[in-house]
Amino acid sequence: MRVLVWAVTLSLVAPGRVPAQEPSPGERLPVVKHVLPNGMTFVFLRRSGAPTVSFVTHFRAGGVDEWTGISGTAHLFEHMLFKGTHSIGTTDDAAEQALFPVIDAVADSFTSEFRKGAEVDSTRLEALRDRLKQIEDSARHFVVSNELDRILTENGAQFLNASTGNDLTNYFFQLPANRAKLWFVLESDRIRNPVLREFYSEREVVMEERRLRVETQPGGLLREEFLQAAFRAHPYGRPVVGVASEIQAVTRRAAQEYFKRFYGPNNAVVAIVGDINVDSMTAWADAYFADVPAGEPHQPVVTQEPAQHGERRIEVEFDANPQVLIGYHVPDALHADAPALEVLSAVLTGGRTSRLYQRLIIRDRVSTSIFSFEGPGQLYPRLLTFAGVPIAPHTTQEIEVAVYDELGRLERDPPTASELERVRNQAQAGAIQRLQDNFGLAFQLSQSEALWHDWRQTFKDDAAVAAVSAADVQRVARTYFAKANRTVATLVRAATADSTGGTH
Amino acid sequence: MRPRVLTGILLCAALPAAAQRPGGDTRAQIQALQYPPLRFNPTTPKRVTLSNGVAVYLLEDHSLPLLDVEVVSKVGVANLPDSLWGIGWQADGLMRTGGTTRLSPDSVDQLIEFYALNVFISTGNDQSNASFSGLSRYRDQLLDLGFDLLRNPRNDSSRVRITAGQQLEAWRRRNDQPGSVLNRAWSQVMLGDHPLGRSQVTPNEVSGFTPTRFRWAQARIFCPQNLLIGVSGDFDERTLLARLETEFRGWPACAPGLRPIPALQVTTGPKIVLIEKDVNQTNIRMGHAGGIRVADAPDYFAAQVADFLLGGGGGFNSRLLQRVRSDSGFAYSAFSNWAAETKREALFFAGGQIRAEKTVAGLSLMRQIIGSLATDPVTARDVQLAKDNEVNSFVFRFENAGQIVQQQLGYAVEGLPANWFDIYLKGIQAVTPAQVTDVARRYLHPDRLVIVVVGKPGAFDKPLSTLGPVSTMPVDSIHR
Repeated sequence: MRVLVWAVTLSLVAPGRVPAQEPSPGERLPVVKHVLPNGMTFVFLRRSGAPTVSFVTHFRAGGVDEWTGISGTAHLFEHMLFKGTHSIGTTDDAAEQALFPVIDAVADSFTSEFRKGAEVDSTRLEALRDRLKQIEDSARHFVVSNELDRILTENGAQFLNASTGNDLTNYFFQLPANRAKLWFVLESDRIRNPVLREFYSEREVVMEERRLRVETQPGGLLREEFLQAAFRAHPYGRPVVGVASEIQAVTRRAAQEYFKRFYGPNNAVVAIVGDINVDSMTAWADAYFADVPAGEPHQPVVTQEPAQHGERRIEVEFDANPQVLIGYHVPDALHADAPALEVLSAVLTGGRTSRLYQRLIIRDRVSTSIFSFEGPGQLYPRLLTFAGVPIAPHTTQEIEVAVYDELGRLERDPPTASELERVRNQAQAGAIQRLQDNFGLAFQLSQSEALWHDWRQTFKDDAAVAAVSAADVQRVARTYFAKANRTVATLVRAATADSTGGTH
Repeated sequence: MRPRVLTGILLCAALPAAAQRPGGDTRAQIQALQYPPLRFNPTTPKRVTLSNGVAVYLLEDHSLPLLDVEVVSKVGVANLPDSLWGIGWQADGLMRTGGTTRLSPDSVDQLIEFYALNVFISTGNDQSNASFSGLSRYRDQLLDLGFDLLRNPRNDSSRVRITAGQQLEAWRRRNDQPGSVLNRAWSQVMLGDHPLGRSQVTPNEVSGFTPTRFRWAQARIFCPQNLLIGVSGDFDERTLLARLETEFRGWPACAPGLRPIPALQVTTGPKIVLIEKDVNQTNIRMGHAGGIRVADAPDYFAAQVADFLLGGGGGFNSRLLQRVRSDSGFAYSAFSNWAAETKREALFFAGGQIRAEKTVAGLSLMRQIIGSLATDPVTARDVQLAKDNEVNSFVFRFENAGQIVQQQLGYAVEGLPANWFDIYLKGIQAVTPAQVTDVARRYLHPDRLVIVVVGKPGAFDKPLSTLGPVSTMPVDSIHR
């Protein structure tokens, strides 16, 4: 113990702390921002090191931008951007285009039957599903399936993937530095000429993704229903992967409409980080993207989640052992209270020395884990959620009691100087560690610019965390953690299930 | 290297607009791209030996004020006497959380979190690792604490109790997710109770958790003769080596008591095993003994290419993902893994999560695709894809000092030469389509697959028995 006391004392007097106003190492990066006349934004960062380049593109388009009846389209469209263009992915563009109206007509018949709900003629529905598969298969005669993937694979691309969130959708890969130009050729084609081929078989793939991540996973299903309970108006309550029935009925035309509305170059932010020549990148950005016509500017979601008037509690039945999510409505990620909420979260659950970990895992041995996180997005008011997993015979109720008690205790026992110093040191170390990886850096720059029109914002957050005081934490604890502002979702076994199931 | 013939008549820089019309010529532009040669000579770590014989790989990189220390032990949990497997499997967590003879568990946690150090210790089945990293200005704290955890674990009884409670809870939850059921059933069906197939501690093993037993296992896994060290980042060689000498001073030689890992007995097929679970998507794995070791050149290289093209890295152009996902829409994920190790034979398997209503159709398709590697030969273009990918992506294996040091540690533990990557790349480049077909014919046996299925048979498209005799495995008969 003597060693520790020495260590802490030394650090408290050491002049190593970064005052909040001093720019963090990230803010001092020599990033070059280049905005084309059509609004498409590039951020370039040359780094010394191995000759590799990371490309990350964020579009200001996500689950929140979907309209009623088409949930999951943002995500399905993300899959479709890997299917090629009028040039990549086809042997005969004209012949293939001629087949799409035929395919869409069968899809419309399927959707009409599907819409009948309980009155559906399931024989007819299955026949139409088979017909849809047949006719799409016949179009494969003109398809060079996965050609985009092949071109990138043979050029040594790494991390080729994409993901769809509530606020944004991203696409990314890395290339050896000498092949950087390939990105410009492929992406300038993909952003303006996507062809939604193999659409209906991909719709089936997305259904399987939903089953994999949500329907067969206790934690996934709990999270989905928790968000649906917490958000009654704002689209943060809607699953990004989509409601099952809507995934099954979404059409190629809806996906095309989504693309036209949200994938204009003015909604795109590209970060290019690595062993690059910034002048060449700038010239290529102009040459390949300047003549893409601008689209509609992105409009924020008009819906605001109304204030919650009373605690909401739900149970989700699943053949699995219990877990609990406890969420409180908090403001968006750029709000003045966001840094204090982050510190509150770190004081309560950030590591083994945090208050809730000490209590639930180490002292009382009630829980295997306790986490807290914010989400499901950043642009709009969201939730700060605590997630706990009990150790039988302890219960989720005991985890709830501890969380509520520790939130209340912040009023009596504000974060100590040592607790705040720990959080600051971790933020400071994290600010340097995040500079290690070019791909991670490209992701952060692109995301920050897409969300806040400021690539520095992600680094400003580090500095803001360092400036949070104990009184700030107490203030946000008083403001946001009232019982009436919370939603609690508990995973339980159905009452009819074998009562000994939990011990098997 | 540019393996493809360039048709090079278009000057792409002059013609970007041409590709932007529908039906444009993006493909031609790509073929016309001429890439400058990649100039890159990755740095090599320096290898030195401490006075006690421990090898240290050093690579300085002062671009950021960070330090990373990797410790690898050449032995693992499967080398312990069988009765101590569960002890060994949890020995890593207790080294991190159980305190040291000098520091209480709470003091260790506070030091790590106050200085924002990253400390991971892992006892694996056939080798073990520890990793200590943080800001380089805390170099002494990092090394002192890291080696204290490795040399002098206390295994405080309060923390042993916590670990025991958590392991019992993990046991209760072991069947909550279909993937966990499949992994454990697959290991049991293929390898019986061989330690290399274990990943779950049983309640019986938990009841034997004591500080003394943990200490016995830890002292034999992490002791000087078993260790290799790698250091990368912001350090000064002379100071660091002096510090490492201090950290090892007085650390006694490894005590006896470990065993060689027992030989594997891999189950032979054909065999179909069903574990019932009420889910709308079926988890499937199928495979058999892989038949190949790393030393088996050129078969090893041909098998690597075969696996890439079947479903082990070839992305959407692999046969499994192309046909099961893109063409059929049966699954989100379908993959293969034709593993080969230096020390022993490993497994070949393929798997995926298939829509319940397409279970038998999907299973048949996967089996047929595995067979197709022998009967429907891969083309020269396919093999070129695998080669181009390896050659063009080699730079990603040397992106930073930490990665380069880790690579050398890995080769040293496996007994591979320091220039193994060059040998590997040459081996892959020499593979011919005929060799791929040949290894598929000799080593892959679609008629003798062991198939394990976790799902709801009532929802299947056809009875599983249409594929062969099925044995049902109650979920409670998975022993761990």
